[in-house]
Amino acid sequence: MNLAMINGFDEWFSKFKERFINDFITDNRWKYLWNGLGVTMKITLGALVLGILLGFLVAAVRSTHDKTGKLKILNAICRVYLTVIRGTPVVVQLMITYFVILAPLGVNEIIVAICAFGINSGAYVAEIVRAGIMSIDNGQFEAGRSLGFNYPQTMYLIILPQAFKNILPALCNEFIVLLKETSVAGYVALQDLTKGGDIIRGRTFDAFLPLIAVALIYLVIVMILTKLVSMLERRLRNSDH
Amino acid sequence: MTIKKESLDKKPERECLIEVNNLEKHYGDIRALDGINTKIYKGEVVVIIGPSGSGKSTFLRSLNLLELPTGGDIIFEGVNMLDKSVDINKHRQKMGMVFQHFNLFPHMTIMRNITVAPIKLLGLSKAVAEERAMELLGKVGLADRANSYPAQLSGGQKQRIAIVRALCMQPDVMLFDEPTSALDPEMVGEVLEVMKSLARDGMTMAVVTHEMGFAREVADRVIFMADGKILETGTPDEMFTAPKTDKAKQFLASVL
Repeated sequence: MNLAMINGFDEWFSKFKERFINDFITDNRWKYLWNGLGVTMKITLGALVLGILLGFLVAAVRSTHDKTGKLKILNAICRVYLTVIRGTPVVVQLMITYFVILAPLGVNEIIVAICAFGINSGAYVAEIVRAGIMSIDNGQFEAGRSLGFNYPQTMYLIILPQAFKNILPALCNEFIVLLKETSVAGYVALQDLTKGGDIIRGRTFDAFLPLIAVALIYLVIVMILTKLVSMLERRLRNSDH
Repeated sequence: MTIKKESLDKKPERECLIEVNNLEKHYGDIRALDGINTKIYKGEVVVIIGPSGSGKSTFLRSLNLLELPTGGDIIFEGVNMLDKSVDINKHRQKMGMVFQHFNLFPHMTIMRNITVAPIKLLGLSKAVAEERAMELLGKVGLADRANSYPAQLSGGQKQRIAIVRALCMQPDVMLFDEPTSALDPEMVGEVLEVMKSLARDGMTMAVVTHEMGFAREVADRVIFMADGKILETGTPDEMFTAPKTDKAKQFLASVL
């Protein structure tokens, strides 16, 4: 009985080893994952920066409009942007950006993906930031203005630092979503992490190990990201005792 | 000595700091301010009293345009603040404001709260600004809290810091919007004490308050407002012992 179990395990293990070697070692197939990870990170980080820039810009316009009633035209443009981006799937946006707008111009696929995901993420970041700005008591704003700060100075010195602290968890969440959303980059011929796993599956006809490996890599990155953000949160919290 | 006496004799011709002409603020049909006329002279302490909803806070807040009036003029140091070409931020630097809810910046230390505006707006060096701040902090007895955050202070301490923050800009006038209304009773005294010493030092002050004792003791002039209008104005003595209008009589009877 015991012997049978050990034999069974032995057999399973050697099969596993064979599959593992076939999936990742033979022909350096692990490189599909490694290079794919590189592409995924490039797209994510690029889109992250673009999304934050766009998001803060749009949020600044929207909350200025909410507070002062100025910037009517810009606000209308921002609202159209938010409606369109949030109302259509990111895969469709990616394909439109690639096939309709940028591919005819011969732009590099990674740049296309960064633009598409960045513009998409910007819409969500914008609403997060706007909510953060509106959550700060108006007295803070009045205190800044009464000292003689102009509107941008008040925003930059007083409102945004406080808003940023409040929205950090929501922003972190948006970054996690962004990282995982880039897994559809394969639609525009990009070999990202997910596509890398898929290519291995196509070569070896083994779906299990490559896909589990891909899932684990995403999971680890998300866990590292979460850890970093919670460290940042703790540092920012030193003013509330 | 004789010169001083002379200047005292000339008191009626004191320099006018803020002149308010026919000031109006309408929200739709509601007239929050309905034709306010008054002058605030240099070195004068003006206390504004009145029932809630009388427009006294709105009036005070429109002096530095936190509320935008819908009509009239505010002439501060010879400049019409409502003129479109006026850089309001420049003039606000000369008008310190203290709020009911302190509005300290919670993400900054006390020192940073006080020095951020002088450094960024007046171009003071960090060292000079901090020296100025420490001197003022010493005056209000909070020099040891320079490195604390606002959340670590009591209400009375926060309000004293808020006063210091405004003073550090070396304003020509201080506006107080119910500075003690949000405080626990045992902390009202410490804030009023700071305001009294400020008045003794000759600061021009406009104060909206429910502290009638403070008004009686410190005010040069008391303004009584109701329904967006100034109904009565006079010395504390005149106002508290012989109010002329029925509304003022009623109000004073209810608060004294």
